[in-house]
Formats: sequence, structure tokens, C-alpha cells
Amino acid sequence: MVRYPLYQLGNPQLRIFRPSWFLTLVRPGKEQPPDTVQFRIPMEMTKCDIKNYLEKIYSVPVGAVRTRIQFGSNKKRNHLNQKVKQPDYKVAYVQLAQGQTFTFPDIFPEKDQTSTEGSMEEMQEKFMEDEKQRQKPDPRRGGVTEWFGL
Amino acid sequence: MLKMATSSSAGRVLTLCKQFQNVFRISSATNSPHCSSALTKYQPRLYREKSPLAALSWYSPSSSVGQCRALHTTITRRGLDEFFDLPENWGQTTVKSGAPWTAKQLRTKSSEDLHKLWYVLLKEKNLLVTLEQEARRQRVQMPSPERIRKVERSMIRLETVVNERETALRLLQTGQEKGRPGAWRRNKFGHVYWYRFKEYAIPWYMNRKYKRKSFFTPKFVQPHLRLRIEKHLRENARKASLERRTQAKLKEKFPQVKVSA
Repeated sequence: MVRYPLYQLGNPQLRIFRPSWFLTLVRPGKEQPPDTVQFRIPMEMTKCDIKNYLEKIYSVPVGAVRTRIQFGSNKKRNHLNQKVKQPDYKVAYVQLAQGQTFTFPDIFPEKDQTSTEGSMEEMQEKFMEDEKQRQKPDPRRGGVTEWFGL
Repeated sequence: MLKMATSSSAGRVLTLCKQFQNVFRISSATNSPHCSSALTKYQPRLYREKSPLAALSWYSPSSSVGQCRALHTTITRRGLDEFFDLPENWGQTTVKSGAPWTAKQLRTKSSEDLHKLWYVLLKEKNLLVTLEQEARRQRVQMPSPERIRKVERSMIRLETVVNERETALRLLQTGQEKGRPGAWRRNKFGHVYWYRFKEYAIPWYMNRKYKRKSFFTPKFVQPHLRLRIEKHLRENARKASLERRTQAKLKEKFPQVKVSA
């Protein structure tokens, strides 16, 4: 809990060296306009703070910022029937200036797994394929199940 | 339109080298005899060039400090792309990373270097935290989650080093050790603790909430202090005697074993 100096009229602008605030870029749950980026931010940050943070550290031109606080549910109960609180967090919707757009990229693309020769994964996959082949019914019966005699 | 173009890794290596070359040139003015050894250290970078972790050292052309021929490169200005890893790392199960910075290594760096390193670590942590959240969203395991702990530890150590330097400077300039004023005070339960002052716009005698706080122990609490001290001493004595008894038993069972003190 950092205590910043008290501000009174005429005081100099507060400058923070080495800010310990971390922004999480999240994929929007609901459909957002193309220039809007959604962040999860610590509770202590304000709209001005986010604007300065993005402009100075990431050099991203920021237009408007809107924030809200998401209430974390206190409804779930653990094995002792005690209520378990999910932490609250603040969400910021940042609109980029200068007509820029942003789409959240696909960070976990599907990759074709080609396992190397002689490795454990290859042997396991071969075994699984053999098992599946064994479980299949006789193709000569033409799709008819074993229940019917002959 | 923010383009997420993949620039060549070679370009990025040179960019990073340029940044750190500049850093060296600034700090070389202060401590030139040490620099040459650090500059000529070379390690080929096979993975993420922007890893801020200390195991990687910096590439430089093999020239002495005085004749650094500067390479002209652009500063990385990828904007929101800095919240994501390099595209070749997307979808991997593990991403290589070096060791965290130790306090000993950080103490050798100048304050400007530490300031820049703080922001490098901050951006790295933002990247990792976005990756973690996206992995949770897609119900996939995050590649190498230990990186977050490494970055956190590096940042904590950086903070301690900076605070050490600040206290040293403050002691020299003012004679005060702590930046925030405070006093030793006794609370209602008889515990003596370092009370740190808070900044108010009004003096203490006008502050009603502060006046309700009592920094003394009432008379009826006095006997309980002695009882608490006695309990504490009894616990210590019990622990010591238990230790002695176990050692004696072990000595009886295994007389030839040498136990280090």
C-alpha cells in the first residue's frame, strides 16, 4: 500500500518512478467496436493514469478511457460450506486515437503434432490407433451389429 | 490500422544491441576500466531477443570502448504488439527464458540502467499476465509459467537495491534513515511498534479520528504483560530442552555419529 504525498492546490504534479501497476489485455466478452481495447487494471488506477501509462510506456495514442469495477462473486462455497470470494477487478475500455484499430490475436493456434521417430509420443499414438482398430466391428458384416445372429 | 508485422529477428537483435550500446556509452563515462570486458562478452541469441533476464549478455562488434561505430537502427515501436510474444512463440508448449536478476548483479548497474530495466521487466510482466489470462480463457496451459515468478523476483530485488541507494543518499544528505517519519509507540496491548506518520491537511489536535486512538497501555493491562513475557520464556525453555533431549537420545543410540553444532 503506497502512500502518495497529499495534494493541495498549488502542489507540483505527482510523478511516479518505477510504477508497480500491471495491465492485462483481455479478449472482450461482448462485441466491442474495432478501436476499443479491453484491459484489466489494478483498482488504484484511474482513467488519467491509464492514458499516461499507455502513452508514455507503450507510445500508444489513446483517445478515450472508460472504467468500471467488476464485482467478483461471493456466492460459491468450499467443502466446509464457507463462502469463497472471487477477487474484484477494474476493467478499462480504451479507445485508440488517430483511427487505429485493434483485433485480439489468436495466441494458441492449432499445431499439427508430428511426433519424432522412436519417442514415447509416437509409441503411445501407435498403441492408441491399434486399440481403436481392435474395437471396430467386422467390416465384412456391412454395418450390421453383432446382436443379430449370423 | 495497427499492423502486427513480423520484423526479422536480426533487426530486433541489432535494435536491442543499439539500446544497450547507448547504455554502455553513458555508463562508460563513469567506470571505463570495467566496461571493455562486459562489451566484448558475446553469446548468440537463439530465442527471444527481448528477454530481460540476466543470463543473456549483450552482443557487440569487437571494438574497444573508444571507437564504438554506432549501427543505425530504429527503436522498437510496436505499440500494443508489446503485450504479446513474438509470433513464432505462439502455440508452443515451452518458451526458453534465462535466470532472474540477482541483487548482486543489480548492484553493479547504474541508476539509469536500473530505471530502464524496471520498464523492461514491467512490459515483460504485462506480456506474461495477458498470456496467462488468455490461456485461462482458451482453457489451455500457459507456456512456461515460471517466467512470471522470475520477473517478480527480479523486480523485488531491483526495488531493494534502489531503496538501499536512496537510504544511503538520505543518510549522507540529511542524517535520516527513513524517508517517511515515524516514532516508537506503545499500543493498548503493551506492544511497542514503529508507528509511521500519515500526511494530513490539518494538525493532529484538530483531527478527531486521530485523537480517539490511544498510544498507551492502561493500568489493568500491566499484569498481563508480565504473564505474556513469562509464557514466551517458558516456550523458549521448552523448545531448548526438547532439542537437548532429542540430541541426547540420538547420541545414546548412535554414539559414533559426529553432530555439527
